[in-house]
Amino acid sequence: MLVVLLSPFLWLLQMSFKTNDLILQFPPPLFFAPTLEHYRALLSSAFSASFLNSLLSASFSTAFALLLGVPAAYALSKWKGGSRHALGFAILATRMAPPIAFTIPFFLFYRWIGLLDTVTGLVLVYTSFNLPLVIWMMQPFFETLPPSLEEAALVDGARTRTVFLLIVLPMVAPGIAATAILCFLYAWNDFFFALILTRTNARTAPVAVVNFMNYEGWEWGKIAAGGSLVMAPVLVFSLAVRRYLVSGLTAGAVKG
Amino acid sequence: MIGGSSAAKGSIDADRRSFGRWALAPSLIVLLLVAGLPTLYLLATSLTPYQFVNPGSSTDFSAPLRNYRLLPGDPRFVNSLWVQAKLSFWGVLFQVLLGMLLALLLNVNSRFVEFARTFFLIPMVLPPIVVAVIWKLIYTPDISPLYYAASLLNFTMPSLTSSVDFALTAIIIADTWEWLPFTFLMVLAALQTIPDEYSEAALVDGANALQIFFYVTLPFITPILVISGMFRLIDSVKAFPLIFLLTGGGPGSVTEVTNYYAYLLAFDFNEIGYSSAVTVVLLLLVLAVSLGVIWMGRRREAMV
Amino acid sequence: MTGRKSTHNFSRRRLLQAGAATLGAAAFPMPAIAQTKPFAGVTLNGASFQHRFFTLLQNYIPEFEQQTGMKVNLQLSAFPVYNQQANLELSSGGSAFDFVNVTFILAARWVAAGLLTNLDEFTSDPNLTPAEWNPKDFVEGAQVPYRDAKGGTYGYSWEGGAMVMGLSRMDLMEKKGLKIPKTFAELQQVCAEINGTEGVNGMVSFQLHHWNLPPYMQGFGGNVFRNPPSDIMPALNTTQAIQAVEYYANLLKNYAPRGVITYTEDQARQAVLTGRANIFIHSSAWVTPILLSEESKVKDTSRVVRMPAGPVADRPASNSQGLGIPKNAKNKKAAWEFIKWAVSPEISMRLVKEHGHSSICRRSIIESEAYRKLNTVNGQDLGALYLEVLELPAKGDNYMAYRTVKEFPIVGDVINKSFEQVVTGQATAAAAMNAAQEQAIANLRRAGTNL
Repeated sequence: MLVVLLSPFLWLLQMSFKTNDLILQFPPPLFFAPTLEHYRALLSSAFSASFLNSLLSASFSTAFALLLGVPAAYALSKWKGGSRHALGFAILATRMAPPIAFTIPFFLFYRWIGLLDTVTGLVLVYTSFNLPLVIWMMQPFFETLPPSLEEAALVDGARTRTVFLLIVLPMVAPGIAATAILCFLYAWNDFFFALILTRTNARTAPVAVVNFMNYEGWEWGKIAAGGSLVMAPVLVFSLAVRRYLVSGLTAGAVKG
Repeated sequence: MIGGSSAAKGSIDADRRSFGRWALAPSLIVLLLVAGLPTLYLLATSLTPYQFVNPGSSTDFSAPLRNYRLLPGDPRFVNSLWVQAKLSFWGVLFQVLLGMLLALLLNVNSRFVEFARTFFLIPMVLPPIVVAVIWKLIYTPDISPLYYAASLLNFTMPSLTSSVDFALTAIIIADTWEWLPFTFLMVLAALQTIPDEYSEAALVDGANALQIFFYVTLPFITPILVISGMFRLIDSVKAFPLIFLLTGGGPGSVTEVTNYYAYLLAFDFNEIGYSSAVTVVLLLLVLAVSLGVIWMGRRREAMV
Repeated sequence: MTGRKSTHNFSRRRLLQAGAATLGAAAFPMPAIAQTKPFAGVTLNGASFQHRFFTLLQNYIPEFEQQTGMKVNLQLSAFPVYNQQANLELSSGGSAFDFVNVTFILAARWVAAGLLTNLDEFTSDPNLTPAEWNPKDFVEGAQVPYRDAKGGTYGYSWEGGAMVMGLSRMDLMEKKGLKIPKTFAELQQVCAEINGTEGVNGMVSFQLHHWNLPPYMQGFGGNVFRNPPSDIMPALNTTQAIQAVEYYANLLKNYAPRGVITYTEDQARQAVLTGRANIFIHSSAWVTPILLSEESKVKDTSRVVRMPAGPVADRPASNSQGLGIPKNAKNKKAAWEFIKWAVSPEISMRLVKEHGHSSICRRSIIESEAYRKLNTVNGQDLGALYLEVLELPAKGDNYMAYRTVKEFPIVGDVINKSFEQVVTGQATAAAAMNAAQEQAIANLRRAGTNL
């Protein structure tokens, strides 16, 4: 059953190893001598640059989102106020909106400042949209910490800041790891923002795959290989963090 | 000692509050800027007939409700809402049902199954554009194994993505494939919290598997089914890469969802003002559903 | 004697001076050469979609960089991605690009909206453009999209698309005693007879209906607008337009491969190259491969001729791709230098001779010996055919004027959607076109056009 479900995905993989004429052959052969020519072509072309762009923009945005979001989540978890729900809802809302709602203003603003087609620009966008995710995901982790440890340290005269850094953070380390991976995934998988906000310098891998759909004919082999390469990091990371995927995707609204 | 500790507590609280403010402020500022400003801009733009090539149109507030008044009379917009409704309804339905089925079947406590289960996640974590590429390969007659199989069976299959009747179905299938793992995971998690005594007691009472399912399992997982359905509903509005790559909204406007229509308006026709109005309507709809989710989640928490 | 000696001395001194100068120049070659490179230090940014023309041009760009001293940064992207990005960039007044490809779909919009620089200021200045470059050498039909209402030129074409008809299975036609169709009625007949024979489709086409349909509309006596470019009221629900839609939809419904309305040009070309479809009506660059390409399996059974004429008029479409300079480009002079070079007679000839690339737009090249030799296959003079169609709009009624209307993309999109409804049986031609007319008018009004 697994094979049946995954067969479309496996089809893409096997196509990336076929030579071009085999791809267009009808009936499609299932057994064939594999070739690495598409992968080699990709690595020596602009595709490797786009891969790097994806890597950079995803990593930096994850780092910044964590930097800003983890302390904020901690602060929120201690807050007993009623407006906390309103804030929570606002955070959820930003994740629910389709990207088109934000692209025009971003496009115009970036054009004006000169951040169009730059990795920095992408990092800013991804950070902003991963920030709510970080806050939302880390809150439950902080909430489930027994307060006794913190209280003891605070009474002993430690500042909140120190308590946070030395006691609390290590305890939620697995949560931070999981959140980091989820942020990376979202940034890596993004298509729409990269499509609109980049040209050729900061083009990311998902957009680069689409670039093989030429006017004069789609290069199926390269598309298949490109697609396979783009999904490789994602597969590796998500298999590592599968336990937290559900809560990440439901933004923690359901304790799962 | 008491006086001393309450004073100490007071300063702890003060220190805590100040830390809290410092910790929260940067995030709030960023969120306000990044989410708040563009939303205001969107609203403002939806009140203008802004087009790039008409200078001055970006600040033309003379007829603020013009775009909104044009919406109901725009058959393409109304059509896009219908298409979206169909896509969301059928997509969510299949995702919930099939996800539940899969979870029931695989709710087995064996190491092998648990290991295999992780691979079921793959469609969900793939970059959406890669999912679109995969299905493009499957739906392109010249190179698709599907069409080859059909031709072997002497069955001429129409090109699904260019067929009026099947294009949307094709998208629904691809979308379901992509998001099945989501409902699967959620239902599985819920299934694993059902205490065994319930089904054991039912067995002792002489119930068969089907009755166990309907009277024991289903009530337990219904809230999860509903919630995962709602999450998928909200997310289904964002459907873009599949439509972009597979059908371009066609044939005709059969697969043109509201999100895609807004994209075309903004980036192909450069009718920024009108596109903003379409987006605002879409956002309001999404907001309404999100509120529903929160309310339901709150109710469930209250019940548990 | 003193006089003579002084003259000698004078000339010898001159010689010595010259010699010293040369030695000096030889000893320090760099500064001297740098002074003669007019654009040293300039980086030129340009963009286009991936096309053989640019891939070939990239082979020659290093020479250009050597000559001028500038660095050329040519960014190529996929067709839909490029068009959208360029359109966004230009219509929001950006200056990221110094030169751009002006795709035929967007040419009218960009020209009419004033997004491009008027190139006449460069061509009329003899310091910037030598007389031999000859702007009038460009074929009329290819230049029409780049002219505004007052006749100013905003782009120069590097590829012409002349609509011709290719037949890949003359063997089947001869077997059935069919002649090459010259009218719409004959076309239908031939398609009907061939379709299904040995698994071959009567004809094949592709998804850009707003390119393929107008020749039929005009052939039956209709048009896209009432009287472009002055009267841009759409004319989509005239009896002639409906007739044309019925006719062409009928061809696609009954005699073309399944899924043809979403075919890309590449898929259509593949179909004729492999002989799976007989008739393909499109730009010569896409049709002539049946005779010229190595991949073609139908070289010996192919003919390329004029497309059939309608009962009222004979209106094969023509279009072109060109290079232009955005209004807000930063390095306009350098950009002109590049464009001048890229479509110069020399480069055009080299492309023809060294790479067999024949859809260039200079008459002098097309009529040359070298071109004729390369493009006469099986007795068919493809060059003459190409030229004939490209020049047709200039002879009398400029029937391609509908393409120069800046609102054409809006109406074209409506045509696309409505036509698909007819082919897929969702609506009759009359119903679809009446709805299309209303929709087009509504969309035009919403975009701010006064109708």
